[in-house]
Amino acid sequence: MRWNNSAMRLLLSVSTFCFACLLMIAQSPPSAPQGTTGTATQPTAPSPSAPANPVPAEKPLLILIDAAHGGTDAGALLTPTAVEKDITLNVARRLKQELNTRGIQVQLLRDGDWTLSADQRATTANTGDAALYISVHASSLGSGIRLFTAMLPAGGDNNGPFLDWDTAQAAALERSKAIQAQLVSAIQQTRFPVRALMAPLRPLNNIKSPAIAIEISPTTGDAAQVASTGYQQMICSAVGNALASLAQSLRTNTGSRP
Amino acid sequence: MNSRLFFVLTCCLCVIALAMSFYMWQLRNRAVDNSIPSGTPEVIAAPSNATQKQITLWVAHDDTATLKSQSVSIASSAERQREAEDIFRSLLEIYTAKGSPHPLPAGAALRNVYFVDRGLVVIDVNSNFASGQTSGILAEELTLSSLVQTLSANIQGISQVKFLVDGKEASTLAGHADLSNIYETSQVASFARQLSAP
Repeated sequence: MRWNNSAMRLLLSVSTFCFACLLMIAQSPPSAPQGTTGTATQPTAPSPSAPANPVPAEKPLLILIDAAHGGTDAGALLTPTAVEKDITLNVARRLKQELNTRGIQVQLLRDGDWTLSADQRATTANTGDAALYISVHASSLGSGIRLFTAMLPAGGDNNGPFLDWDTAQAAALERSKAIQAQLVSAIQQTRFPVRALMAPLRPLNNIKSPAIAIEISPTTGDAAQVASTGYQQMICSAVGNALASLAQSLRTNTGSRP
Repeated sequence: MNSRLFFVLTCCLCVIALAMSFYMWQLRNRAVDNSIPSGTPEVIAAPSNATQKQITLWVAHDDTATLKSQSVSIASSAERQREAEDIFRSLLEIYTAKGSPHPLPAGAALRNVYFVDRGLVVIDVNSNFASGQTSGILAEELTLSSLVQTLSANIQGISQVKFLVDGKEASTLAGHADLSNIYETSQVASFARQLSAP
């Protein structure tokens, strides 16, 4: 009986000690990342000027490109042989190539002739980690490139982490507008006609991260121009350059997100 | 009464009946000549005592992708609903006319306008209006902002607008502009300002 009591006390003491050790390990700050050279670094006392938390490693910049329409939704009929869903897919693929060559990662939300609802597109965008969502459209009306941000409808309030679906873009709208303005400024330097507007366009208002829509239209008044490879390439090059010039700003924004 | 007298009276009555029939036939022909020819409906003029009201239409122009204001006069009405319908019809006359700056098909029409409490207006258009619309973000936005801006500029107290197509909710106008939500007139006004500057 006495032996049993001593054993129980010993076991309790050891358990308490182990628990205390575990707590200390859990509350201690993480160790600093090792240098890129791979050599072991000597632990040193933190200097008074050093930040309490180390700077997180820079995340790779990811842009989500969404070719609008697709599948049963053909979109606008620009010419008797050119439908919007095909043009948007071609432009999205070209834009992806342009951005990849500039070191920016791109994910295509639609990479085939699939039917996707606005809700499905928004859900994919909201569950991913893209710094910017771009919806690609094509039209026969107007001239050049138009960049749209969301025109938010009258909707419910966003309460803490719970966002109202119809106005989920509200928190990121100012950021979207800033990106739109920077893109317009960069594209204008190429003397390509470009215009900044807002639009009641889904799924822009359902996306919680910065989101814009690009609508390309002919500069000659002939809708067939939008379907031509050369024109699409010219637009993608201009937009790709503009996005690359914002890369640092977009990357910073990604890093600051919770 | 002998048979001779009966025969004379009968003949007289027959003559009178024939004469009256001929007269009636003449009257009928005269009435047909004076009637309006079929196939050409007569336009009924507005009552001369109806007052005219000057309104501002916000007309979409596809060539410049802008909204431009245009003044027209319509018959003034005490009823808001009647006035809103007249305003829309003025706008649709421009869009469905030959050489329109923002073409809509001839069958495009307004079905109804409903004024709901707290400044909400429901605009019900027919399916031709939606299906005949040029598809595109800007093209559809020009149509909707033209309607909303024209209505809110001419009728006081409208803060929100909801669109229906053939009396039912529609997800988009022609594949782009969202119709599932309610439009705030203040937002459309700021968008109209953007569109007014080419």
